[in-house]
Amino acid sequence: MSSRSLAESIVERLRGLVDEYIVAIATRDSIMVKYANGEVTVTQAWRDYIVSVYMAKAGRIAVSTYTSRDPVDAVARTATLVEKLQPSPLYAPLPQPTGKPSSAMDPRVRDLSVAGDAVRIVEDVDVSGYGNVAGMVSLEYNNVHMLGSNGLDAGFEVTSFNGYMRVFRGESSGQWAWVSTGYEPRLALKAIDKAWELANLCSTLPLERVESGTYRVLLSPMVAGNLMEHVAFAASAGSVIFGLSFLQGRQRGDVIASEKLTLKDVPLNPSLPGYRSLDDEGVATRDKAIVEKGVFGGFLHNTKTAKLVGGESTGNAGWVLPRVFNIEVEGGSLREEELLEALGDGVYATNNWYTRFQNYLEGVFSTVTRDALIVVRNGKPVACSRRARLTGRLPELIANIEELSRERWPIQWWEVDTPSIVPHILVSKLGVTMES
Amino acid sequence: MDVDVLRSFVESVTGPGFEYVEARFHSRGFTQLFFINGVLAGAHTGVDLGVSFRVLYNGGLGFSATSDVTREGLRDALSRAVSSARASSLRVKSRISMSPARLGSASYRVLEVRPLDGLSVEDKIREVQERVKGLDAPRDPVRLTSYTVVYNEVVERKLVVTSDGGLVESVIPRVSVTYNLSATTGDRRANRWNMVAGSGGFELVERLRFDSEMRGDVESLYVNLVKAGSPPRGRMDVILSPEIVGLSVHESIGHPSEADRILGREAAQAGLSYRRGYKDPIIGSPHVTVYDDPTIPDSYGFYLYDDEGVPARRRVLIDRGRLGELLHNRETASVYGVESNASARATDYRSEPIVRMANTYMAPGDYRFEELLEGVKEGVYIRKYMEWNIDDYRWVARYVGLEAYMVRNGRLEEPVRDVVLEINTRDYYSSIDAVGRDLEFSAGTCGKGEPSQPMPVWMGGPHVRLRGVVVG
Repeated sequence: MSSRSLAESIVERLRGLVDEYIVAIATRDSIMVKYANGEVTVTQAWRDYIVSVYMAKAGRIAVSTYTSRDPVDAVARTATLVEKLQPSPLYAPLPQPTGKPSSAMDPRVRDLSVAGDAVRIVEDVDVSGYGNVAGMVSLEYNNVHMLGSNGLDAGFEVTSFNGYMRVFRGESSGQWAWVSTGYEPRLALKAIDKAWELANLCSTLPLERVESGTYRVLLSPMVAGNLMEHVAFAASAGSVIFGLSFLQGRQRGDVIASEKLTLKDVPLNPSLPGYRSLDDEGVATRDKAIVEKGVFGGFLHNTKTAKLVGGESTGNAGWVLPRVFNIEVEGGSLREEELLEALGDGVYATNNWYTRFQNYLEGVFSTVTRDALIVVRNGKPVACSRRARLTGRLPELIANIEELSRERWPIQWWEVDTPSIVPHILVSKLGVTMES
Repeated sequence: MDVDVLRSFVESVTGPGFEYVEARFHSRGFTQLFFINGVLAGAHTGVDLGVSFRVLYNGGLGFSATSDVTREGLRDALSRAVSSARASSLRVKSRISMSPARLGSASYRVLEVRPLDGLSVEDKIREVQERVKGLDAPRDPVRLTSYTVVYNEVVERKLVVTSDGGLVESVIPRVSVTYNLSATTGDRRANRWNMVAGSGGFELVERLRFDSEMRGDVESLYVNLVKAGSPPRGRMDVILSPEIVGLSVHESIGHPSEADRILGREAAQAGLSYRRGYKDPIIGSPHVTVYDDPTIPDSYGFYLYDDEGVPARRRVLIDRGRLGELLHNRETASVYGVESNASARATDYRSEPIVRMANTYMAPGDYRFEELLEGVKEGVYIRKYMEWNIDDYRWVARYVGLEAYMVRNGRLEEPVRDVVLEINTRDYYSSIDAVGRDLEFSAGTCGKGEPSQPMPVWMGGPHVRLRGVVVG
């Protein structure tokens, strides 16, 4: 049964049971090669059929998800559950669909994913010359069709080629990531080169302890990608509802960051796997500034959260809460080496993980640096350090952005979940802590 | 899923080079109810169901999974697992193998006192709402600006069949309640996120007392926002609550004892382990003993057989200050030449079984809380936290108190906010000079793997006293 005819069968069963619905049928093929200690540790392949249904009746809402090729009866049973719920404070009628079908699909990624054969990947992303390498390469083909009571009858297909590599040189290491909708092994090799370069640099520099204090800090695209994703997350109206946004109470037009910062949600960037010309409610997506030259561009909404504030959807649905599709941070005027010179005396954090918030509402966080943490004096790397934390408040961090690099990197990995294009970011003041 | 069907697929892989085949049917039926300020905002239900295969061919490991559980779909998935194993074997230098193990042939299920499928959704909604009623009553000058509650029930069904005789069928229902409280005094804001969870039926909603936890957390926010002063700095004694002790043992001895991490298989994701190069057999004081035990009844990390069919048992991670055993699945056990201690867990049908914790806790001692306090001339008691993290070698951790109190001459005194304890693992365990007789568990969702495999765990311990550590 094709995706469309399965969707039609479900729609047939839903009629009369619920007032509104959207049925989304996703077929997804993916493969992943994982590496450790310079060799392949496991090769994985998946084939998934995911049926998701949004249902509303008399202001009550439910979502149902089944990984099945024949979920019609199960969906119908869930439909009978909807009327037993209570009217939702989030309910809003489904909007008229304005989005069109879209495709950001590279047939090479699709064909490799569907075939589930990783031999080509192992050959094209050859890590054999880099010594002790760990990481992964992932390919995915995703095809989604949606059929809704609001007249929605469209979908999208997208491919993804992403991964990351961590290179070890003795006790030193470097890590970098990449993401694209196209099959571009050169991106992977460039990322591995970058990881090797950082590991190698720290293997040749002395080890130095960074004392706790306030520093000028250069954030690599890996680190900046992680922190800017948290800023974008705070701009979702859903984060405000959950009480997890430091932007709560802010208005569109408020100055919230340095004028150097422009941070966008870019669903229409076809090079990133979050590419969509329609959101989950069928509304046309658009690229939009979350922060433009330091000015807040407003919260991201679906029709439900927009109704709560008397606004309009920004094309960021999520059936229940809004979402971010792709992130771009605009580049600055300096080349990367010029930015290192502009750093002067400070630290260059090339990777991080484990960002946690003491207080989401105030944006109080810390994150642990990993891999190369480079001590810079007079614009030159002079030493490397380990296991320091970056600590501070996100509102202050984005206010203290001094400059950004011209070059930008496409990043997605464990700590940067949303496909992102990010430059290096120089912050004039940020806390660094080290155990006593 | 018919066991004979899975077995026939496993047995169909024969020929030179094929060393191990495993099939797992894995289903997770779930219902989630989402409340905003006590009002039901929506429900999410469904079934996440599929079959995975692992194939070991000439030392190369392949994994494939599909949600298409027709014979055709399974045949295709198995073929992809075989192709993947062949691809892995092309470049393999360190051949993978599975350690011999005494495998289970068993079927078990966790019993529900109040079966999840025996209650209507209306009853579940009503009970959650009854329990949070009045939560937002004003606590001048603090106002609760919002509170969200997510009730989640999952019934996990698994059938594991291995080519060397393992056959284990299990049904484990779990219930969790997560919540976030946001509070303000007007010029200050703070929030508290928390989760309670266990395995069993709807009786857990009462037994886990999430409503009492929430009310206690409202009080903690009040203390943090209104009464607490600046945090102390300097070297002093510290008393930690079971909530923080549980987290600390999970992070600083549980994760670093995962053998796959020590072998580098997680190096690019969750990182490595200080136990790679740690030569000293001693990690802490003789007061410290830490276990990981999947067999604790009602626990969130409960299981009796792991996802490779190995019978579960308690693992000793620290024995009176001495480093204990590592956590193994059959792959890592083979490298070390030991038997697996049943640590293989997979989140869902899409996940390969990797080395995971279950319920990690510090063994209680014999001190009453008052006795821990009595020995402190000047120090701080950290009761609840919000922020925590640890480096990817699991050596230096940071815990930041949401609710904490100064201790002077054996007495609890004024509250202090945002106390920071940033400490390395050896100093942490070595500075513990007294361990409480109490034992409490907290629920968590442990993160590891690629693709990400969130895993239910408990983390626990008693109150402990640390001597002369640096805070601030």
